[in-house]
Amino acid sequence: MNIDRYQRHSLIDWFSQDDVKASSFAVIGCGAVGNEVAKNLALLGVGRIDLFDFDTIEIHNLTRSVLFRESDVGLNKAEVAGKRIKELDPNIDINVYSGDFWDLLSLEQAKSYDCILCCVDNFEARIKLNQICLITGTNLINTGIDSKFSQIEIFPFKSGKYIACYECNLPNSAYERMQKRYSCGWLKKISFIEKKIPTTIITSSLTGSLAAANALNLIKDDSQHSAKRILIDSFTGNSTLSTIEQSCTCPACSVMADHISIAKGSAKIESNHFLDLNEADNITTSDPILVSYRCVECNPNEEDSTKVFQCASKYDSSITTCNTCETDSVDVTIKDSFSIDELIADFAGMEIPAKFIRFDNKDRTTIIELE
Amino acid sequence: MSEVNVIIRTADQTRKAEVSLDISNTGADVIQASVDNWSLPTDTDYSLVSTSSGKTITPNSTLGKNEIKDGDILEVQPVLVAG
Repeated sequence: MNIDRYQRHSLIDWFSQDDVKASSFAVIGCGAVGNEVAKNLALLGVGRIDLFDFDTIEIHNLTRSVLFRESDVGLNKAEVAGKRIKELDPNIDINVYSGDFWDLLSLEQAKSYDCILCCVDNFEARIKLNQICLITGTNLINTGIDSKFSQIEIFPFKSGKYIACYECNLPNSAYERMQKRYSCGWLKKISFIEKKIPTTIITSSLTGSLAAANALNLIKDDSQHSAKRILIDSFTGNSTLSTIEQSCTCPACSVMADHISIAKGSAKIESNHFLDLNEADNITTSDPILVSYRCVECNPNEEDSTKVFQCASKYDSSITTCNTCETDSVDVTIKDSFSIDELIADFAGMEIPAKFIRFDNKDRTTIIELE
Repeated sequence: MSEVNVIIRTADQTRKAEVSLDISNTGADVIQASVDNWSLPTDTDYSLVSTSSGKTITPNSTLGKNEIKDGDILEVQPVLVAG
């Protein structure tokens, strides 16, 4: 490490370059806020930054993305951001993941970060990342912007239990909005047009600065025991700092037992897979599964259902139209909870199409990450 | 039935009202009433914060459970989704 580079940092009494250099972060989403967060972490001289994004650069991204150039249009956001970060500081260990973090980020890897910074643009990804951080006890900073406001939320999950999570305060309307994207539960609507939220570099840079500052706080101060939210009106400078309260009805953290254990296991369903569980016990899958479908007109008997047992997100609403009678009369069964008995009887030998499964036994939640 | 007199405002403080609310009202009820009365954009989601206590009010918890008292300020904040 060239220490001259960080000479000015060394003059700051509260800033330990060694601690910063020893820290590692994941930035999920390399759009407007992700650019700013990655740039700030790089210029601070952190040790490792892992960048995740499946998306490609479009020309309209350039008004808010300091790491992208016109010649980058069409290229993967994480790859380009990684290349530019390496130019900013070659000492930083940069890893690029050009795909969906849900597929690429293992629980073990998530646990290795000092903090994961969520810079995505939708509720579903935030909920999934919150789940990963909650399970693994990894600090999470969530960011959000519009054309006027900057928001960051700090969830210091590493500091222990009873920390509110992202879903604790998520309004019911957010779940209703998510469901509008789907039909029959979790099949993507083919005709759905996503609303675009206009933003500027003002709110994304403000958010990126606050997120990086709070990521630094998390590595130098592990005594933060409550989740908090900062909301800033970029027009007026008014800001609100609030403690995020835990909800006893939260669909994410209230269902977790006090003790969480994580293991890895084969996705293949075999009877010896669930030795510790009774046949009547239930497991919950991390992803909704399309179990079967049947046209009620062509196949009135339930036994004539076509078994699928695949991740529901791979399918869209076109499956509800029957190829034979060409009417919308196909019933689909989508589930994320199965009894052990049912799994072994109906799906033995098949692979569970999910990132992980969860089961609760007395005061312990067990997560099995599927391989 | 018990009521509290509170001030509700939007995060940008362009809208503000002094209202009496039953303490059995939930965070979600207060937000819905604000969206309806002030015609706030319905394509945005909102969260409620008591600026007096500095704590969020979860959607399904009541004002009573959050110990909201006369004179408290409740702020309706947007839940930001872009990144």
